[in-house]
This record gives sequence, C-alpha cells and structure tokens, in this order.
Amino acid sequence: MVPEIGHFALVLALALALVQSVLPIWGAARSDLMWMKSATWSSLGQVFFTAIAFAALMTSFVQSDFTVVNVLENSHSLKPLLYKVSGTWGSHEGSLLLWVLILTVFGAMVAVAANNVAMRTKARTLSVQAWISVGFLTFMLFTSNPFDRVYPAPLDGQDLNPLLQDVGLAMHPPLLYLGYVGFSIVFSFAVAALIEGRVDAAWARWVRPWTLAAWVFLTAGIALGSWWAYYELGWGGWWFWDPVENVSFMPWLMGTALLHSAIVTEKRGAFKSWTILLAILTFSLSLLGTFIVRSGLLTSVHAFAVDPERGLYILGLLAVSIGGSFALYAWRAPSMEGGGLFKPVSREGGLLVNNLILAAATGTVLFGTLYPLFYEAFTGGQKLSVGPPFFNAAFIPMMLPLVFVMGLGPFLSWKRATVGGVFARVRIVGLLATGFGLVAWYALRGGPVLGYLSLALAAWLLLATLREWAFRIRLFDVPLGEAVRRARGLPRAAHGMTLAHAGLAVAIFGFVGSSVWKSEEILFVTPGTEIQIAGFEVTFAGAEKVRGPNYIADRGTLNVRRADAHIMTLYPERRFYPVAQSTTTESAIRSTMAGDLYASLAEPASDQAGAQGAWTLRILYEPLVNFIWLGSAMLVLGGLISLSDRRLRVGAPKRKTVVPSAMPAE
Amino acid sequence: MIWIFIAALALGSMGFLALSLRGKTALDSQEDSFPAIFVDQMAELERDVARGVVSAADADAARIEIKKNILRQAQKAQSGPLVATRGSQIGLWIAILFVPVAAVGYYSQFGNPALSRIAVAEQKKAREENARIVALTGQLKTRLETDAEGGPSDGWMLLGQTYMRLGRFGDAAASFRIVSDREDATSAVFSMLTEALVAQENGIITPAAEAAINEAAARDASNPAVTYYRALALQQAGMSAAAHDLIVARLDAADGYYPWMDTLVAQANRIGDGIGRDPISLARFAPMLSGRGPNAEDVAAAEEMSPEVRAAFIQSMVEGLADRLQDEPEDLDGWLQLGRAYTVLGNVQGAKDAYQNAAALSVELPQTDPRKAIAAQALESLSQ
Repeated sequence: MVPEIGHFALVLALALALVQSVLPIWGAARSDLMWMKSATWSSLGQVFFTAIAFAALMTSFVQSDFTVVNVLENSHSLKPLLYKVSGTWGSHEGSLLLWVLILTVFGAMVAVAANNVAMRTKARTLSVQAWISVGFLTFMLFTSNPFDRVYPAPLDGQDLNPLLQDVGLAMHPPLLYLGYVGFSIVFSFAVAALIEGRVDAAWARWVRPWTLAAWVFLTAGIALGSWWAYYELGWGGWWFWDPVENVSFMPWLMGTALLHSAIVTEKRGAFKSWTILLAILTFSLSLLGTFIVRSGLLTSVHAFAVDPERGLYILGLLAVSIGGSFALYAWRAPSMEGGGLFKPVSREGGLLVNNLILAAATGTVLFGTLYPLFYEAFTGGQKLSVGPPFFNAAFIPMMLPLVFVMGLGPFLSWKRATVGGVFARVRIVGLLATGFGLVAWYALRGGPVLGYLSLALAAWLLLATLREWAFRIRLFDVPLGEAVRRARGLPRAAHGMTLAHAGLAVAIFGFVGSSVWKSEEILFVTPGTEIQIAGFEVTFAGAEKVRGPNYIADRGTLNVRRADAHIMTLYPERRFYPVAQSTTTESAIRSTMAGDLYASLAEPASDQAGAQGAWTLRILYEPLVNFIWLGSAMLVLGGLISLSDRRLRVGAPKRKTVVPSAMPAE
Repeated sequence: MIWIFIAALALGSMGFLALSLRGKTALDSQEDSFPAIFVDQMAELERDVARGVVSAADADAARIEIKKNILRQAQKAQSGPLVATRGSQIGLWIAILFVPVAAVGYYSQFGNPALSRIAVAEQKKAREENARIVALTGQLKTRLETDAEGGPSDGWMLLGQTYMRLGRFGDAAASFRIVSDREDATSAVFSMLTEALVAQENGIITPAAEAAINEAAARDASNPAVTYYRALALQQAGMSAAAHDLIVARLDAADGYYPWMDTLVAQANRIGDGIGRDPISLARFAPMLSGRGPNAEDVAAAEEMSPEVRAAFIQSMVEGLADRLQDEPEDLDGWLQLGRAYTVLGNVQGAKDAYQNAAALSVELPQTDPRKAIAAQALESLSQ
C-alpha cells in the first residue's frame, strides 16, 4: 500500500505543477490577484505531495518491500539501515525523486519566504519553477517511475555493493542536488524577469541569497565528493578531471561568476543582461550535468542509445528548457536598459575580468567534457579520452590572472578607482608574496616555475584579502578596541567574502603542493623491502590474512621511520567481500597538515604469492593536501556567513521601513 | 482501503488550491518593495563616507544616482490595479477540479491498486523462513564438518542442493565437490557439481565445469545432463550446429517420455533459432504425449505456419488439452490455460465453461493467490 500512496501523491504533485505552470503567470498578465496567489498554495501542495512520495519510497526501502522494482534493484535485506535509507536516492529513479523534492522545497521557500518580492514577479517566478517541475515529474512518471511494481516479488534484493556503502557517498548527491536545484530558483527569477522586462537592483537582491545558498551547497557537495574519492576510493588523488566531476564543476564556475555579477547588478545597475544570461547558463549546466550523468551518456554514447525513450525525453527536455530560455533571452534582452557607466579600473572592471575568465574556464571544461562524446557519436563509436593533460594545460593558466585580480578587486572602488591609490595599499602585500615565492624556490629547488608562481599567487591572495579586511576595520590605524568595534559594524557579507577568498587561497596551497610536489612509488615489495619517499623510510614487514565482520582481508604492515626514529605503523588492506564477490582497497594514511603519507596494497605479485610473498605496493606523499579540505570548509563557511547577512535574508528588510529618514544607519 | 487513502490525498490537493479562494479581499498590492534596497545602498554609502573610502564629490554623485534610481522605479512601477473577479473564481474552481480528475485518471491507467493488499508482512515472513533455512543449513554444515567420518554423502548432497536454492552456488559446488571426491560418486553427483560450477560463473562452461561433465559422462554416458552441458559448451565455443545435432541425437535415443526432455527440446530450439533450424517438437520424440497443452515450442512453431494450418494446429492442441482435462478435472492451471485458449479462438461458451471450472477449483485458495483473481476477472469480462 505504501508504494501506491507514494505513486498517487507523485501524480497529484504533477497535477498541481500543471496548474501552477499556467494559472499564476496568466494571472500576472491579467492582473488577477486570486490566480497569482494560487502559486503560493500550489507550491506548498507540491512540496507536501512530493514529500509524501519520497517518504513512501524511503519506507519501501527501509521495509525492504521488493514488490517495488526500484527497491529490488538497489537494496538488499541485509544492508545496514543507513544504507537502506541512502539507497532511496542511490538509483536513477530515486535520485530524480530527490531532485524534484528539493526543487519543490525551494519553490515553497520562495512562495513563503519571499514576501518582499513584487506579487507579479513572484507569480511568474513560481510558474517558471512549475514548468521545471512538470518536466521532471513527467520524465519520472513516464520513463523512470520509482514506484513500478513486480509481483510475485523475489525473496531478496540485488544490490549489496560494499564500495557504495559509505557515508561520504550517501551525503554527496543530496548536497550536489541542493546546489543544482538552488540555481533553478535563480533561473526562474531570470526567466520571469525576461518575461516582465524588469531587471533592477531589487531583482538582483532577490536573486542573491538563492545564488549564494546554491553555491554553498554545490561547493560543499564537490568538496565532499573529492574527499570521498581521495580517502575511500584509494585512487591517490582528489581530482581527476573525470566527466562526472566536470559536470558538477561547470555550474560551480558559472555560479561563481553569477554570484559576482549579481553584486554589480544590485549595487550599480550594470551587467543586467549578462547576469540574466549567467543565471540561464548556470542552471542549463546544472541540467546538463544531471542529465549527462543520469542518461548513461558518460559510459558511452552507445549506452545512451540503448534506452532511446529515456534518452530522447532527456534531449527534448534539454532542448525546450535551454533553447526556450535562450530564445526568450535573445528576444527580450536587447530591450533592457543599460546600467551605470564605469571606468576600466574600477570594482566593476575587476568583476568583469573575473566573469570573463570564469566563463572562458567553463567553456574550456565544457569542451573537454563533451568533445569525446561528440567524437564517439560522429566517428561511429571510436573512443577518445580528454584527460588531465588537456585540462592542466588549458585551465590552470586561466586561473593565474583570476587569482591575481581576486586579490586586487576588493581594493578597487565602484565606478572609478585610481591606480596609484590601490597600488599604494597592495605594495607591501605584493612584495611579501613575491618574497614568499622566492624563498620557496630557494628552499625546495625542484619543480616547475609555474608551481612557484602559483604558490606566490596563493600567498598574494591570502595576504591581500587579509590586508583589505584589516584596512576596512583600520586594524593598525586605530586602537584595537575601536578596530573590533568596526569589525562588528561591518556587514556579515564582508566577513564572508574575506573568509571565502582566504579559503580559496588556502585551498590553492593544497592544490599546488599536492600536484606539483607529490611523490609516488609503485613497486613490488617482499618482507623487508625498504622504500625511501619524501624523507620517510618505509619498511614492508609483510602481509597477513585477517577476518572482518563481512569480509576477508590481506593486511600489509608498513613501518614508517624518519631520521631514524619510528613514527608510526601503517596497515593498508585489500578486502574481499564474499557475498558481493568484490574486492576493495582500504588505504592507510598518515595525515598531517604538512602532507599525507598514503599507502595502498594492490595485487599480490603472483597467484602463489600468499601471505608472505611479494605484493604490489603503491605509496604516495601528498604535501599540503589537507589545505584543500580546510580551504573548502572556509569557502563554505564564508558563504554561510554572507548568507546570514541581514540584508540578504529573504523577507528582510521589511517593506514598512521604506522612509529613508526612518532608517537607522547600520 | 487504498481508495480511502487516494480519496483523502485527492481531497487534500483540492484543499491546497481552495485556500487561494480564501483570504483578504482588500487588495493590498504588495507591489514596489524595492525602495528598501535603495535605502540600504544609501546607508552603505554613508558608511563608506564615514570610513573615508569615498570622496565627498563621489559620494554626492552616488547619492544623486541612487535618488534617480528611486524616481525611475517609482515611474516605472506597474500600477495596474490587481483584480479578483468572478472569472478568477471560476478559473480557480476549474483548476481545483482538474487536479484530482487528472490524477485519478492517470492512476487508474498506470497504478497498481490491487497490489496494495500484498502486505510487507507477507514478504517479511518469507524472508524469516529463508533466514530459518539459512540457519538450519549452517547447523547441517557444522554437523557434517565435525563428523569423524567426513559426514554421509547424502548429507553433503542435501546441503549442496539447499545452497543451490539459496543461490549460493560457490558453497553448493564446495559441498558437491566433497562427495565427488569419494569412491562411490555417481554420474548425478558430477552433473550437480557441473550445474553449481556453471551457475557460479553465470552460465559459462569453465575448464573445471568441463572436467566435471567428463567425469559424469565416464560414469553414465546417457545422463541427459551430460548432453545439456556438452551442448552448452559447444554452443559457447561457436559450434551451435554440432550442439543442436548432439541434443537431437540424445532425444532420438530416448525410449519414451521423461521430464528432462522438455528442457532439452527447449535448449535445442534456443540454439536452433540462432542458426536457422526448424523448431522441433516434443511429440516427435514422445508420440505418446498427445493431449498435453501447447508449450512454448508449439506456439513458436504455430507462428511460422500459414493462417489456415495454424488455426487447425491450434484447434488440435486445444482439443487435446480439453480431452486431458476430462480425465484430470482437478488441474486448475489446465482449466485456466484452456479458458485462455478458447478466448483467443473466440469460443466464448467454451471459455466460460473452462473458467467456471477454474473458479470452482480456486474457491479454496487464499485471497492472495493471483489465479483466483484471474478466473474471476475472466468470467466477469466474458459475461459482459
């Protein structure tokens, strides 16, 4: 019964979405208050019924109801409860349902919380949001129904993959989706603005918290995915320019551009049509990402063609949403009036450079990701891979000027800035950063020049960001108490920006350190083999069989010494799960802020190697890698602090306080 | 029961939309909240002036610009009054009615309300039963392993067969292997071992499986399982024609009907289909079997025939089935099959009679048995 209730609730959500996609926008056109107000209630209805459907699916997973095909294919009665729950969104159908649930939650938040948004704008935005719901709900109900049934039901489910039983993996997709779907609100606002022909400071302000929230979730989702790949998959790296990673990275890059462009639209009324375009592009890339992953297009173009119903529906949906919004943009954007003028050297100018570079970088990633797919499609199945060498050569050089401008940007004033004035403020910071690069070069000697340049730029960004913050609160110009008072007086968005920019600088140290100065050894070892790596002496003491709760493992023992002192013992494992008939690698890691010493046991050198024989051992030293996670955490925290800024909170400031004289100074 | 929930949900969806009908009649427009943003901008400007980031001249220019924006917005504000007419009420009512009608319309087409009765508890019971079997199997294994004489062969075979049913093919193979290593191992032990080894490798004949077949053949060359797996091995080696010949030769050698012949006929037709051989029928090797219902091979054969020949063929098959059911009136599945066949042939009275017999037999069955519903539904649709 539970799955049937879920199925029917999902259908009701679709029916409500259909109403919502027509009535409010029509009401806005004919100034009909009642029809516009219906958007609020149908949004709430949609979230209510989608939540019932999601709860029903989750209940089916928890109860292991194998009459539900989706549960049958993606669960097993022996799975731990946590992974039964996360199995709800582990499959294609379930993840679409999660997508729609998040979509409706965001829609309901706009309906309830966005009280400062003009009635017509809100009605149109919610209608556009409902179009997206309709697209996804019909896709789900007609091609990927999570409530399809089978009778008689098999005794047990079919999935017990140990690799996918991981907390990081359980949390990663929901966070990514929160990001992707958050951008749908911004998209809906943009399309509504195009229909209405109204883009102004107010519009930009409504859009900013949503952009920021989506960006925070996406940042956290990407970082968590990367962390998971690094620690759990045992691949010995945190980013592989894998298509699945790239499709989440592209909306992030565009979203970052959007975040900054919306500031200019809000503060200066400029970049209007560019901000709209970014909003459309960001969500289009989110859609593209979801669908590329979901359609199986990545495994191969062939896999996509096997299920033509699903594939064609996806293509149609993409064509309608992306093509339609671009057509609307082409038609309406030229009628938008231009914003305030500015000189090339100004805050606007800096943000323009930031936007251009981010857009170009997104284009590069998009090209590198889609090119192999097109190549395979047009050459009749020949495969080609675009890997890290392409991305490193094309993407990284673009980031260097971006980081440079990032450090400089906050010092520039709006409209026009004086080169001399800015130079005077950053002179010392520039010298310190250059000095840091030179000292690093002297101390390390090895490695490419680009590595030292990147380190110097990271130092520049960190110091410049801190300098700007210190300048704002006049840290060393006034007594400390006064500075603290000033810091309290600063809007939270300013602190958020400082933290996020500094976080990126910290993360860059990690990116550069762990890629340029990484050491790696892959070798055969027998008991007694000594390995020298990054100043450590590692001795392989042998491998033994151990039994885990539901696996059998070969466990290697590695004694790690430095400067003749024993530091620790590492136990990398190679686990075999008999039920699932699969093998996983459990790396052993010695983790410090200076770097990670990372060992993983690959195959025995031969079948007869046995417990005491020769093994293939992979051992790595990744300097500064933990700076990446620290920096990512700072990015997320900075975003959250900005989001908590009173001025950005949806609903505030109240519209009753419009008289300027009655407004207390912040 | 399920329909009560569906009705409640549908009412709920109407309720959500109906809430839009309610509410203030005073048309507060909620328009033009934007000046708040300019107020903020002004405040920020003052802060910058106080900090000394912005010069007095720039600040004045910025103030003028913000004020200009306020004026521009005020002029541009959409001032069309908002209305709520009778037309809007009618439109909304249409929407309110649309939602449940559309949803129930979809659900009656694609939903599975009948399945709602199958309780999760029932599945759970089956799983508990399964767990009990697993536990018993574990006990049996311990007993066999601790037996001083290595455990009786029958015990190990039982254990292996239980593992096969549980889908634990590797464990099953290990149990059969213990018996096959003994002196008294029969051909059947080796063919069971082969089955476990092949199942373990998802149907692929491995060298280990091949060795087991050879052992089975050495003990009894006429073991039909030997033919089955050798044919499978030949087919997997790309020699489908030889595989087909091998099966047909074994069937020819049979001196009567045995249940395993169904399997071999099906296998031969599967293989034959790929290399363009005509389907073979069980009747060719076991002529005494007339009167059995049509099986998959007969249906496949019928599809190849001309319409007239096919009709005559089907008629003869159905008559054979009807004759047999006169002798075995307790065969519920047979009656259902006959009812279906008569329905397809357009013999309404015959179909009704057959389904009535089936319905009479299914009275004693539990409610959850789908056959009960099939007979009832068929009778209902036939009497319309």
